[in-house]
Amino acid sequence: MLAEAMVLAGDDKVTGSLGAVAYGLAAIGPGIGVGIIFGQGVQAIARQPELTNVIRQNMLLGFALTEALALIGFVVPFVHK
Amino acid sequence: MSAPHLLASGSGDEFEAPGLHIFDWGPLFPDGPAWLDWFTKPLLIVALAAIVVIAFSWKAFGNPKLVPRGVQNIGEIGYLFVRDQVARPMIGKDGDRWMPFLFSTFFFVLLMNLAGVVPVLQLPATSHIALPIVLALVVYVMMLFLSIKHQGLVGYFKNMMFPPGLPKALYIILAPIELLSNIILRPFTHAIRLFANMFAGHLLIAFFATVSWWFLAEKLTALGAGVGLVGFVMTIIMTAFEIFVQSLQAFIFVLLAASYIGGALHPEH
Amino acid sequence: MVRPAMSEEGHRPGPGSDESDHRGFANAAWAIPSYILSGMAVYGGLGWLLDRWLGTSALFPAGVLVGLALALYLVYHRYGRS
Repeated sequence: MLAEAMVLAGDDKVTGSLGAVAYGLAAIGPGIGVGIIFGQGVQAIARQPELTNVIRQNMLLGFALTEALALIGFVVPFVHK
Repeated sequence: MSAPHLLASGSGDEFEAPGLHIFDWGPLFPDGPAWLDWFTKPLLIVALAAIVVIAFSWKAFGNPKLVPRGVQNIGEIGYLFVRDQVARPMIGKDGDRWMPFLFSTFFFVLLMNLAGVVPVLQLPATSHIALPIVLALVVYVMMLFLSIKHQGLVGYFKNMMFPPGLPKALYIILAPIELLSNIILRPFTHAIRLFANMFAGHLLIAFFATVSWWFLAEKLTALGAGVGLVGFVMTIIMTAFEIFVQSLQAFIFVLLAASYIGGALHPEH
Repeated sequence: MVRPAMSEEGHRPGPGSDESDHRGFANAAWAIPSYILSGMAVYGGLGWLLDRWLGTSALFPAGVLVGLALALYLVYHRYGRS
């Protein structure tokens, strides 16, 4: 498996804007995460409207942490040339 | 690049994906007089959108009746939508005062976006970054003016950079973040959000349309027909999706504008 | 699962769902990415400048992470507490 990967890396050199590809890949996870957070949050508010405030706060915190991952993916191409 | 670009872009035998050149439009009348060279297709779309919004509003609200008839009905549905979904939730009770601006901005941006799926036009004018930047700049200058008018110059920066309840030492570290976020990144993301969505959406539709044209019409082979068919179906699906995204982005643009105006009028304490 | 259908309690909007809270929530949700980005930009930029000055290469990523942490703290302080 490792040898195969090395052969592949040797034969077909990937060129082009790798940073853009990296950001595209890095955006997948946070995209799913943000969807889950807001989806579940809306569902929770629909089930228990009296807890709206608490749920919203936790939604925002979870959203902030997930969004941070997406933005790390945005910055990494600048850091690691 | 004067003639409208036909979908197939490659002149050779190789399939060529549409690139940035699909956004470049030369003068609309290349053989016309030189003083008409500024008149390009994006500009035509902007002018059309402005004329349609003005004419529609004139017809709907120029001579309002107590019992609405005809166009006034449609106009009032649009007005109520913008007022109840944007102005009142975001600005508050005095949101109605901002309705003329919000209403016309919403429909102006919406029409410019929807030009991306209208046959013949088929270019969202907002996919040229100049338009979102100018619109965002208008909102930004208005936000700065209102903030300073309602909170005072010192009060505005104090409210923005020093949220109460933090230890003193942290203010020095956190104030630059607040400053950059509020003064520079806000208008920037406001414009980029609209531009990037329209740009990517147009590129996506053009890509699938090019795929289906190339594999179904230009180089029809037994192997390529499947790819072309997928491209054809995806073109239709992406067009429907783009209509949704274009409406949503126009809504979000106005929502953010209203949110900035509301934040300027009623600062959080 | 038996629940009192259409009970007053369940259908009354909670105390926090009035208009001004909705506005706060929407504002926060739009402001958070901007805060995080600007935190990373300010302290990452500082680290980058220090890197150029001192000839090192580790301060830029470190600054990005520090800015990220500070921005998250700011978000927590502004929106995360009742």
